[in-house]
Amino acid sequence: MAATPTTAGHGPRGTAHLSLAARRRVRGVTGLIIGAGGFLLLWTVLSRFVFDEFVLPPPLEIGQVMWEIVESGAFATNFWATIERLLYGFGLALAIGFPVGYLMGTSRWWRAFFHDMVMVAGSIPGITYAVLALVLFGISILGPVVSVALVSMPYIAINVAEGLDSVDRKLVTMSDAFGRRRPAVVRHVLVPTIAPFAFAGVRLSFALAWKVEQLTEVFGSSSGVGFQIRREFEDFSIPGTLAWVFLFILFMLLVERFVLVRLERYLFRWRIEDQP
Amino acid sequence: MSIAIDRTRAGSSGGGGADSVRRFLRSQRFARAASYVFLLILWWLASMYEDRFPAPLETFQFLWIEVTGGSHGGIVRGEFIEHFASTLPRFGLGIAISLVLGIAVGVLIGGSKLAEALFKDTLLVLVALPAIIWAFLTQMWFGLGDDAVVITTFLSAFPFVSVNVVQGIQAIPRELRRMSGAFHVSRMRRLRHMQIPAITGYIFAGFRFAVIIGWNAVLLAEWFSSSEGVGWRSRYWYDANRYRGFVAWVVLFIGFIVALDRLVLVRLQRRAFRWRDAQLSTIEREAEEIDVGVKGA
Repeated sequence: MAATPTTAGHGPRGTAHLSLAARRRVRGVTGLIIGAGGFLLLWTVLSRFVFDEFVLPPPLEIGQVMWEIVESGAFATNFWATIERLLYGFGLALAIGFPVGYLMGTSRWWRAFFHDMVMVAGSIPGITYAVLALVLFGISILGPVVSVALVSMPYIAINVAEGLDSVDRKLVTMSDAFGRRRPAVVRHVLVPTIAPFAFAGVRLSFALAWKVEQLTEVFGSSSGVGFQIRREFEDFSIPGTLAWVFLFILFMLLVERFVLVRLERYLFRWRIEDQP
Repeated sequence: MSIAIDRTRAGSSGGGGADSVRRFLRSQRFARAASYVFLLILWWLASMYEDRFPAPLETFQFLWIEVTGGSHGGIVRGEFIEHFASTLPRFGLGIAISLVLGIAVGVLIGGSKLAEALFKDTLLVLVALPAIIWAFLTQMWFGLGDDAVVITTFLSAFPFVSVNVVQGIQAIPRELRRMSGAFHVSRMRRLRHMQIPAITGYIFAGFRFAVIIGWNAVLLAEWFSSSEGVGWRSRYWYDANRYRGFVAWVVLFIGFIVALDRLVLVRLQRRAFRWRDAQLSTIEREAEEIDVGVKGA
């Protein structure tokens, strides 16, 4: 814990010895530990005294099963299968979402054309994607990939369109007045304005894409986390199901906290106002 | 609306009939109609690509028989009303519980630092959990029947209400809170004029997303742990290899939730947030509408 003195002029609150960021981090970690501890405690109490241990196995038992899954290598292969499909799906969603968002942001006709599809896509139940994909593609990698793409695409498109809408028109006019060419305007005005919006779209759809991916794997896949969860369910194994669920949660939190947050910080390091 | 790179130019060439046709082709109404034709063509192409996948026309024929209760051939009849009648009470109950539980948990976490430290992460995990996991667990815990369906619905939906309520409470500007402290505004007046107006819109937003998420959860739970209801009925056709019936039910699922969302929920949300969003452009508001539920995730 580095005791960096705070700058003067903080008023009555200037008594802190840690920098704001460090304090925030300590508080975050403490909260996390307390939260996780409280959760495990609650779970143990529930499984010991409220429910049966068969119905809700204690955390330790789940932990053992999780460890077995990791040790056997099933964890790595299945998660990799899931991630691979997720990435393909996202690639497809970006490839379609960007042009669609561009059209929506620049032309009224295309706005009207895509309007209903984009507005409605978010409320379509995930199960329909999953089962339609199964009927259409059978058990193959195409089902999850197409579902992920279909779920994420509208979010990316509408955020790109929103980004285009918020482009500073004066900057574009000025660039024209000073004889900047189109590529230069795109590179230095449009892209930096749209990037945060597009990234927000990716962040938002990521959470949804995970879910639909799991669902699609439950219905029509022969590998991946969703498939494993279904297998455990069909064996009527509560510890097995819970173990995969918790591995899934842990993995998702790691991706969320470390990969996406880092990426966001890196991409938007030029925006001073967001920094703590 | 359009920025510097505008594609629509006011066409003045041509005259009379050709001009009005062109104007019609450029109109937004035509664009919308064109998008539906485009979707139907996509659907039709999909049915060409895969024989199991039914074409639009036969699907709608099937849908008509199912909804009107006609005969599918033999003694199998359309059972639209029966299944909706057994699904809607479960759905309604699940959503009602999720609203009450969601607001309670949200107020708890938003109002207390300790509760936030303890439960915030759990809440975020719950938001991120796919409904299918609850459907499986409740099936194993409670067996077939109403319990599993209702519990899956509210367990999947309530975290979205909570996340939105927490956001609403925390979105109250710090200046406002400090000022009301400095001027000794009473607790009741703070609640009445600051906290309640601030979270109402967020509750509506959370409610809207809870309904959307809950609908998916109900369908999933009925698919796996019920012997009646719309989710079960679609599975019935699916298991019977009658994909026409299955896709017809998918059309109903989508139609139901989209109608509910666009005709009721979005309007409620827009009304509740009009103090905040009045200055947003159309596209900003629309982006807000489709983003709002997942923002907490």
